[in-house]
Amino acid sequence: MAATATTYYAQLTGWERIKEFFNAKFINILALSLFLLLAVFLLFPIFAVLVKSFQSPEGFTLAHYKNFFTHAYFFQSLYNTLLLGLINTIICVSVGFCFAYMTTRGPMALRKPLKIIAMIPLIAPPYLFALSLIILFGRVGLITQTFGVNWEIYGFDGVVIAQTLAFIPLAFLMLENNIKSLNPNLEESAYDMGATEGTIIRTITLPLLSPGLLKAALLVFVMTIAEFGNAAVLGGRVPFLAPDTYTMIVGEADFSMGSVLSVMLIMPCIVIFIAHNYLLKGKKFTTIEGKPIASEPRKMSPFVKVPFIAITFLFGFTIFICFAVVIMAAFVNILGVRNEFVMRHIMDFRSNMAIWNSIKVSFIAALIGGIIGTLLAYVIVRGKFVGRNLIEMISLSGFALPGTVIGVGYLIAFASPPMKLTGGIMILALNCVFRFLAVGVEAGITKLHQINIEIEEASWDMGATFFTTFRRIVLPIMFPAFIAGFIYTFMTAMVSLSAVVFLVSPGYELAAVTIFDAAAYGKIGLASATTLKMVTVVVLCMIILNLLTKFTNLDIERKGGAA
Amino acid sequence: MKAKLSLAVLVIFSIMVVGGSVYAADEITAYMGTSPDNNITIVNYIKKKTGIHIKQTFQSFGEIEAKVRAEAPNFNADMCLGVGSPLTFMAKKNKWSRPYKSSNWLGVGSVFVDPAGYWYNIGNFSFVLVGNKDALAKKGYKLPTSWQELLDPKWKGEIVMASPLSSGTANMIRFSFLALYGDKGGWEFLQKLDKNIHHYTRSGNAPTDLVGRGEFMLGITSDENIKSRLDQGYPLVWGVPQEGIGYDGTFAFIFSTTKGKKYRLCKKVIDALGDQELSDIMAGIGYMTPRPAANKLYGAITPKYIDLDLGMAAEERSKNNDIWKSKFRITYK
Repeated sequence: MAATATTYYAQLTGWERIKEFFNAKFINILALSLFLLLAVFLLFPIFAVLVKSFQSPEGFTLAHYKNFFTHAYFFQSLYNTLLLGLINTIICVSVGFCFAYMTTRGPMALRKPLKIIAMIPLIAPPYLFALSLIILFGRVGLITQTFGVNWEIYGFDGVVIAQTLAFIPLAFLMLENNIKSLNPNLEESAYDMGATEGTIIRTITLPLLSPGLLKAALLVFVMTIAEFGNAAVLGGRVPFLAPDTYTMIVGEADFSMGSVLSVMLIMPCIVIFIAHNYLLKGKKFTTIEGKPIASEPRKMSPFVKVPFIAITFLFGFTIFICFAVVIMAAFVNILGVRNEFVMRHIMDFRSNMAIWNSIKVSFIAALIGGIIGTLLAYVIVRGKFVGRNLIEMISLSGFALPGTVIGVGYLIAFASPPMKLTGGIMILALNCVFRFLAVGVEAGITKLHQINIEIEEASWDMGATFFTTFRRIVLPIMFPAFIAGFIYTFMTAMVSLSAVVFLVSPGYELAAVTIFDAAAYGKIGLASATTLKMVTVVVLCMIILNLLTKFTNLDIERKGGAA
Repeated sequence: MKAKLSLAVLVIFSIMVVGGSVYAADEITAYMGTSPDNNITIVNYIKKKTGIHIKQTFQSFGEIEAKVRAEAPNFNADMCLGVGSPLTFMAKKNKWSRPYKSSNWLGVGSVFVDPAGYWYNIGNFSFVLVGNKDALAKKGYKLPTSWQELLDPKWKGEIVMASPLSSGTANMIRFSFLALYGDKGGWEFLQKLDKNIHHYTRSGNAPTDLVGRGEFMLGITSDENIKSRLDQGYPLVWGVPQEGIGYDGTFAFIFSTTKGKKYRLCKKVIDALGDQELSDIMAGIGYMTPRPAANKLYGAITPKYIDLDLGMAAEERSKNNDIWKSKFRITYK
């Protein structure tokens, strides 16, 4: 056997040997290159932040940490941040569950409208709600003036409300996905055997959902403590870690303390990420194999229906109002002072360049992210090398890393040659790629698990090279996963602020940053108009992308189905 | 087939995206720290005068200073246009700026031109007290005529000013009060004032808009946007308290790393800044300009200025930041 192999290789020319080598080892080479990318663009910046926090001109030091732990101000900041994260996570996951339950188990007529209203905030920057709250409850706000309410919106309460409204959709989306994939048979059997709906939710739905709940909680927590737009605009004098990091770095160039704050911000995220992985181990709930069956709409019992409707309507209505007032404010001359209809904020073309830049950056990020995500999923599922789990964990960890920290990390890691990226457009795109990679990778893994490896093996057996197999079989199967990663990265990159705010440079202004600046500046009209324009652009882009996938998905699904 | 179609769309869009970022011929990058509106005014003036396009993004003085300090010696811009004295003097001292003696600035005094050519000052700006006319009238209050009146507890939570950590205006406010009341008295004044401050904003101009819209009753703010906000119809009143106001320059300099064609373009920009026309524009906004021009904010009256040593103020900025943090970044409820 060995002898035949040797003679076989001996017959090959040098070029053929190289080709043969690549054919056999390509997946390992691919895995290695992808790992290097992850190492450079995800691990290295985090590592750079960690190193910076222990660094002084004289070498290693604990002085910055001592500074942190001996100042009540920083402590207060940490405490506020964690409290905000905790409150928000509880509210967002609970409300998100109500929405998800109503859109999957609730009355048919309510499912679609509730789903739409719960998804709306995704198309706007999270700090849109800070803007709305100022318009409504500011000292010259609509509600303040009309009803004479004397409620101080600037402070902890305001930040909690704004962040909650901003991250309900995230919780909703993850939970809805999870509820949909639960087989309703179990719930229906319980119902047939006479259990009340409350009991079913408590003893069946929620326990089955626990992995989803956990994951949603983790995501909401991380996003809440890292996205600092709302806290920076509404916080007043209440300190939070993320905006403090921003002031440290952008305002004072104090990279040492900025790094310490970043490390403090990342700690709880890592703890939760590890706990989440640990808790989920061996807790994979598979109800009954096979495709999920759509649940028959059941009559909801009033004990569940009334509170659920009350909660979803309250939050849905609030979200709707918040969007409505921002749209309105875009056309008001000086809100609260000269309430006259004007087009000048909309016609302020300075923000258009920023929106165009945002589209460019998001598109580049989505393209690269989609490709890398798909390839990563492929090597994770099909590769046979040591460290596969490690690659999987690293590529999924992006979403557990606060954007603020990644921004600071990129600023430190890529500021000087040979890896100088600051001052350009690629640094804006790349940080989005690696932060939002998880969705594409997960979608890819799920897709590949559905496809038996035998098809690929058959193709190899029939003499196709690795590349042919990859192009003709793997790519078509994975195209939907690519699209999923693409759309998610594109949308999130358009609206996210926390990382890019550190990295924008002259000529590469982004819409999210422009809106944030205008809002912090008190220019409500300009901020609202820019938000409105950006939301319109995002919606248009989503429609185009959706049409595009609908066209292409058809024959792909058929291919997948035939397989 | 359809997959190919979508691929084609992707490719075309990619080309558009990449193609769109091709550089314009005469273009430089600058850090500009005047208000967003005034940045645009200056960019448009330079474009009209020289054909050079300036790529810029709005940041406040303090933020630009932080950025430059963090980037040194690998600057991501060709020049600074509109930054405060601390950064300008620091840049000269550390040789971050590159000297250029412009013949177009001849006859301008040394407040506005560095004799060695390291910097040029396109206009002095100040801070003033602003109030919301309607909000004051509602309470029956008058705009204070002395800084000391701001310490009255009736203003608690009603005053906004910028943070000296991020804003050049607020830094100017701080060194002016330290100069006015002396080191000890100055800090005492700031500490008492702090009790009435609602919060410290990022940018020195922000209080103008916040007070103008009526979010807060009083603001200590940069004078550079007041004229335009009054013209737009904001119900603002403003005044120079009897103790006087401080000032700082709005400086331009070329980075030491700027070479070749970019350096030649930057020199042209510096030349254009020395024209009478720009002084007219800046004075129209409210700046005290290098060449005599009719000031649209202060009119013919020169306001009372506090005696300042900008060089010393620049030297002490970082020390004062530390004191500031130790005094005002303490526990909150």
